[in-house]
Amino acid sequence: MNLGLFTQSLLAGVTNGLTYALIGIGLAAIFKGSRVPNAMQGEFSVVGAIVVVLLLTGNGWPYWLAILCGCLSGAILGALIEIVFIRYMIRNAAPEDSYLLLTIGIGLTISASVLYFFGRESHLLPGFGSDRIYIVLDAVVREHVIWLIAISSVLTFALRQFYRRTSTGLKMMAASIDSEGATSIGVNVALMRTFTFMLGGALGAIAGILITPIVPVDYMVGLQLTLKGFAAAILGGLTNPLGAAIGGLTLGIIEAMAIMGVSSSYKDVITFSLLILIMIAMPHGLLGRAGRTGG
Amino acid sequence: MTVTRSLLILAAIALCVALPAYLPRHIVDLLVFAGIYTIAGLGVGLLLGQCGIANLGQIVFYAIGAYATAYLTVHLGAPAAVGLIAGMVISAVLALIVGWPILRLTGYFLALATLAMGIIANAIFFEWEWLTGGTLGIGGIPKLQLFSFVLDTPLRFYYLVLGVVIICMLLAHNLIGSRTGLALRAMRDSQDAAISLAVNPRWLQTRIFILSAVLGSVAGSLFAHYGGFANVQSFGIEKTINFLLIPVLCAATSLPRVIVGALFITFLPELLSQFGNVHQILFGGALVGIVVLMPAGLVGAVSGLWRRRADAAGAIP
Repeated sequence: MNLGLFTQSLLAGVTNGLTYALIGIGLAAIFKGSRVPNAMQGEFSVVGAIVVVLLLTGNGWPYWLAILCGCLSGAILGALIEIVFIRYMIRNAAPEDSYLLLTIGIGLTISASVLYFFGRESHLLPGFGSDRIYIVLDAVVREHVIWLIAISSVLTFALRQFYRRTSTGLKMMAASIDSEGATSIGVNVALMRTFTFMLGGALGAIAGILITPIVPVDYMVGLQLTLKGFAAAILGGLTNPLGAAIGGLTLGIIEAMAIMGVSSSYKDVITFSLLILIMIAMPHGLLGRAGRTGG
Repeated sequence: MTVTRSLLILAAIALCVALPAYLPRHIVDLLVFAGIYTIAGLGVGLLLGQCGIANLGQIVFYAIGAYATAYLTVHLGAPAAVGLIAGMVISAVLALIVGWPILRLTGYFLALATLAMGIIANAIFFEWEWLTGGTLGIGGIPKLQLFSFVLDTPLRFYYLVLGVVIICMLLAHNLIGSRTGLALRAMRDSQDAAISLAVNPRWLQTRIFILSAVLGSVAGSLFAHYGGFANVQSFGIEKTINFLLIPVLCAATSLPRVIVGALFITFLPELLSQFGNVHQILFGGALVGIVVLMPAGLVGAVSGLWRRRADAAGAIP
């Protein structure tokens, strides 16, 4: 096999895998902090990316400021969802599966709103940095891809440290693991849950902003991203952001190898079959039981 | 079953038989779809209500039923019954092969596995053009015929669907009341206790999964005959989410409630489409509203209101 083709598809796999990882990390963070399986995580990405597109091309804001606002919009959306819906439902002791339905419903609403207000056309963002092209091991690498790899690695590491070392991170975990115990030692459980959703929303928005220079954003992208993110998070054991990162990378690389080895039309068949097999064979995710504890 | 209850059910059936003859054609058309979705949703409802399994893969069996009917009747010229039965058999076998390993999983993992199944199947239907016709699909599926009576209007087809719905409801009702139904309830409420009484949970769940698949396949065959075509766009993720919403919207605890869910899922988008392009947003919003404000589902909310009013009036609830 020729080296260039191999590295090129490996690189594509890593790039896609890291975006799945970012969605999965957000999902895992929300599940970890609130036990809500967030079936609209991809929608955070769509909203974040659309906000940046609007501010950048519509209003001519500087790129960095637009990106900041994009991340902020994800966080605000997350906080709103927690304050308006989740809090009310928890107070009324809603059944467990209604949270999945709630997020499906919110996802449908957001995707329909994007279709209504912004239409069917898809938008691309410019790449980060100078958009130069490098040649690594016979493969073509855009500068944006290097940024994507760097930013997502840093984020994964930072999130792990956040949950392990900062007092807010520890409080957020405590609030989710044992809400009554956490309340008795003075943790504001509801506020921590809001923080969890803000964190998840911001992570989702960052994921969207990082992918949009590669994959154009439109109203339908959210659901696809959510599905891949769910797969990534579940491979990692669902409660573990680091596991989700590894799960996403695995998924992306499997997908790229499937495209190279079999055909691009069967990539979903192969990745999702492997997903089912891994879930059956390794019920605790790729990292096993050990991966469940800790960041 | 009490006398009042049987009378109520008989009255409801009489209404279902008599009313559509006076309704406009497009309403009857929607009622046919509501009936078809009831059958598919009943399968999902049995899994959800009796086993606590959220099945997001019903679309696979719905599509298998539709394609079996389409391929056999159009390409091979077989009678409709052959297509229907072939779909049921293929669905049952597939549900056994896939269900047995998948049902080891629980909770969200199982839900995701069934969803993954739906995505895999959709990709395969898209690629196997020789069988499914790809994006173009298979058209020209013959109208159903009962003896020499051709079911070529929505109203005629409606009565067939109504009959199938009633038969399925009766069978499901008997199943729940049977020994198997008791085992199911025992398993759902306390799995360990059920195992100690020699209930094999996985085999029981697999059997219900197979039953659910067969119901999905029947619905798919009816859909293919009614619409006259089957193409891959009819079997997307949105449809499979809808099939799950049907029992969920009415809290899946009793069978006839599934009909309410199916009516809701067919009529609400139609009603909302009057408002123009906003209707998809409104549909999502309505879904969120129901989940947040009516945790016991639509019917639960209405009957709760009824009970509260009865309590307030001093009547015996």
